[in-house]
Amino acid sequence: MSDAYGTDSALVEGRSSAFERASALAVGLGFLAFVFSWATLFRITPPTAELLGVTLYDLLGLGLVVVGVIVLGLGIASRTDIVTTTPSDTGGVAAASAFGLAALVGVGLVVSQTLGLGTIVWLPVALLAGAATAAAVVGAREDIGATIPAGVLAVGVGLAFLTNVIGPDWVWSPTDLAASFHAPVVVPLLTIFCSLVVAWPAAKASAGFGSRGRQTGAYLLIGINTFSILAILVLLITFVAMQGLPKLTDGLEIGLDGFAWPFVMNVSSGIYIDIPGVLPAILGTAWLVVGAVVFAVPLGVGAALFLTEYADEGGFTRIVEIATNGLWSTPSIVFGLFGYAFLVPRFGTTTSLFAGILVLGFMLLPLVLITSREAIISVPDEYRDASAALGVSQWQTIRSVVLPASIPGIVTGVILGVGRIAGETAPILVVMAGSPFPNSTPNVLGSFAFTTTPPFVTNDALLTSASALPYQLYATITAGVGATDVEAFGWGTALVLLLVVLSFYAIGIATRAYFRRKLRYE
Amino acid sequence: MSETENKPRPNATTSETDRTDSTATDTRPSGQQTTAGETEETVYDEWVQYDYAGAAKVTTTDLNVHYGDDHAIKDISIEIPEESVTALIGPSGCGKSTFLRCLNRMNDRIRAATIDGSVAVDSEEICRDGANLVELRKRVGMLFQQPNPFPKSIRDNVVYGPRKHGDIKTGVLSRLFGRDANEKADELVERSLRQAALWDEVADRLDDNALSLSGGQQQRLCIARCLAVDPDVILMDEPASALDPIATSKIEDLIEDLAKEYTVVIVTHNMQQAARISDQTAVFLTGGELVEYGDTDQIFENPASQRVEDYITGKFG
Repeated sequence: MSDAYGTDSALVEGRSSAFERASALAVGLGFLAFVFSWATLFRITPPTAELLGVTLYDLLGLGLVVVGVIVLGLGIASRTDIVTTTPSDTGGVAAASAFGLAALVGVGLVVSQTLGLGTIVWLPVALLAGAATAAAVVGAREDIGATIPAGVLAVGVGLAFLTNVIGPDWVWSPTDLAASFHAPVVVPLLTIFCSLVVAWPAAKASAGFGSRGRQTGAYLLIGINTFSILAILVLLITFVAMQGLPKLTDGLEIGLDGFAWPFVMNVSSGIYIDIPGVLPAILGTAWLVVGAVVFAVPLGVGAALFLTEYADEGGFTRIVEIATNGLWSTPSIVFGLFGYAFLVPRFGTTTSLFAGILVLGFMLLPLVLITSREAIISVPDEYRDASAALGVSQWQTIRSVVLPASIPGIVTGVILGVGRIAGETAPILVVMAGSPFPNSTPNVLGSFAFTTTPPFVTNDALLTSASALPYQLYATITAGVGATDVEAFGWGTALVLLLVVLSFYAIGIATRAYFRRKLRYE
Repeated sequence: MSETENKPRPNATTSETDRTDSTATDTRPSGQQTTAGETEETVYDEWVQYDYAGAAKVTTTDLNVHYGDDHAIKDISIEIPEESVTALIGPSGCGKSTFLRCLNRMNDRIRAATIDGSVAVDSEEICRDGANLVELRKRVGMLFQQPNPFPKSIRDNVVYGPRKHGDIKTGVLSRLFGRDANEKADELVERSLRQAALWDEVADRLDDNALSLSGGQQQRLCIARCLAVDPDVILMDEPASALDPIATSKIEDLIEDLAKEYTVVIVTHNMQQAARISDQTAVFLTGGELVEYGDTDQIFENPASQRVEDYITGKFG
C-alpha cells in the first residue's frame, strides 16, 4: 500500500556508513573553513601564515575543493542509487533562490568586469544564468539539485584560490565603482559564503535528503547562526578584557600584609596618587543605578498595577500605553536636555548626581512599566478568582498573590533597563558630569543632614556633580587628559564598566532565579 | 418509561442515611403529555416545586443574568436545603455555572454581566448594594473546575484565607507583640487537611510548593483552603472534570462527608456523578431555564419533563 504515496521508505534506513561519514566530513570541513575565514578576516591568523608549507589562501582553496568534490560525490552516489536515500522530486525553492542568486551575481560580475561588456550585454546574460540555474535546481531531483551547484561553486572558487587567479596580491577595481577590493577581504568573505553554501547540502545528504534532510540542513544553518551570536559576544568580551586587563591589574597586590587594587580603589587624580583609578566613577555609576531603580521601580510597578488590575481597558489605558512606548523610544540626549533645562536649575543650578538619577529614572520608567504590565497580565486569572472566592479583598489579593507571582517578570524588566541606563553617556554628560577625573568619591550615605527649614533633609553629595564610568570613558577617549597612558586607561575603564554592568546583571538574574524557584517546585 | 433507558442507579453507591429526605415524590402532573419537539415543551411550575425536610440555606427568586444581549439564565427560583448536596446538571451553555456564580456574587467579577432578581443566603438578601462581599464569600466558598492552588507552600495555601481575614496573625509585628499564632495555624492546617482527606498524603511536606502536588491532590488542597475559612455553603463548579477516575472518586467520597456539615452545590456534566452523590438535582436546559428540580432519585428515575428524560438518557446534550 505504500506505493500509493510514490515512495518506499523503510522504517529503519540502512545507508552505507561511508556515505554518512563522507557527508559528516564535508560538514565538518565546511565549518572549519567558515571559522578559519572569520579568523583570517579579523587578521587573527595573518594572511602570510603557512601550514606545512602551504599558504593560508591555498589552504582555504584546498578545503573548498575537497568539500566541493565530496558534495558532488554525495549527490552522484545518491542519484545513481549506490546508496538508498529519500530525496524529494525538486531541489526546493530555498536552494533554487540561493543558487540562482549566486549564479546571477557570479555571471554578472564575470561578464561585466572580467570581459568588460556593457549593461546591455551583462544584465540579460546574468538574469538568464540566474533563471536557468534556479529552474535547473527546481526541476532536478533533490539529491542533484541541492548538491551539484554547491559543489561546482565550491570547487570553482577553491581552484581560483589554488591556481592563484585570486592570490594574496590580487586587487579588484571594478570599472564603474571608485573602490578596490583586496584579497585579504575578498578571499575570506568568498570562503565564508562558499563554506555555508556547501555545508548545507552536505548536512542534507547526511540524513538522506527528503524532509529529514531538509530538517538537518535547517538545523545546521540555525546552529551556525546561534554559534555566531555566541562567538560575537565572546569575541567582544575577550577583546575588551585583553585590552583592559593590564591596566586593571596594574599594581594589584594580594598578600598577607594587605590588599591593594589601585585602579579600582584609587581616585582619578590627586597629589599622592601614583596610579590614577576609577573609584569615583564606579561609585557614581553604582549610585546612579541604585537611585534610578529606587525611583523608577515603585512608580513603574504601581502604574502597571493600576493599569492592569484597576483601570478599565479603554481609551485611558491606550493613551498611557502610547505615551509609555513613546517615552521608551525617546532618544537619551533628549532626556538629557530636558534634565539640563528643567531639573538642573531646580536643584542647585549645578549639574548633580540627583539630576542624573532622576533623568535615568525617567528613562527606566517606561521599560519597567511595560515589562511589569506584561508580567502582571500573565499571572493566571485563576489565582485572582481563587482569592476572591475566599473573600479576600482585591488589594490583599494583589499584594499576596499577584505581585509575588509577577516578580520574576518585573525583575527581568529591571535587568534590561539597568543594562541600558548603566551604560548611558549622553544624559550624564549634560546633567551630571563635572570633572571627568575627580579627586574625591561621592559620599552619599554620609552626607545626609537634617535642617530646620524645608525640605528638612539635605544631601550635599547628591547635589554636586559626579563622574560615571561611561562618561569617564568618553572623556578619556575624546580629551585624552588625566592619565599618563590614555589608551590603556580607557581600556581599563571600559573593562570596569563591563564588569560593573555584568555584576548588576548577575544580581538581577540571581534574584529572579530565587523568586522563580520559590514560585515553582522547590 | 422503559427500564433500559435508565442507566444511572443512584441507590448503588449512596447510603440512604445521608439523605435529608429520602422519599421520592412524584411531582409529575397527571395526564401531562410531553410534546415531540424538544424546545416546544411547556415548563410547568410544578416541575420545579420540591418538598424537602429541613430549612432552606440559599433561596433565589426570579434570578436573571444577562451577558450583554445574551440572556444567560431566566427567572430561576429555587430553594436549596441546608446540609445536603444539590447537583446542577444540564448541557453546555445552559447557564448552570452562571447560576452557581450568582450564589456568591462571583459574577460581579465579569464586567459584562448584569444580574436581576433576588438571592438570599440564610434569608439575607445578598444581591443589593451594601452586601458585605468579604463576609458573603467567607460564608459561601467556591471550588473551581481547574485546581487553582496558589504558587505557595501547602501550609500557606491553607492558612491564606484566615490570615487575610485577620483570624490568624503571623508576621513580624505579631511576633513582636507576642501574639504569634503559629500553634493555632498548625491546628487549622491539620484540621482542614484532614477534613479534605489530604493530611496523610502531605503531613510530612507541608512546606513544599502546592504546585508539586498531583491534580487530584491540588483539588483537595483547594477544598481544604476553602474549608479553612469555615464556610456554610460550598459551591463546586465541575470540581472533578479535570481529574482521573481515582481522584474523582476520592473527591466524591469527600463531598458526601462534607454534606453532613456543609451545604454543597455542585455543577457537573457527569450524570452518574450527580446520581451518586446528590440529594436533589436541578436540571437546566438550553436557553438558561430551570426545567425540573426535585429529589435525585425521582429526577433520574421518573422525570416529569420529556426533555429531561431525553437529556438524562443521552438523547441530546
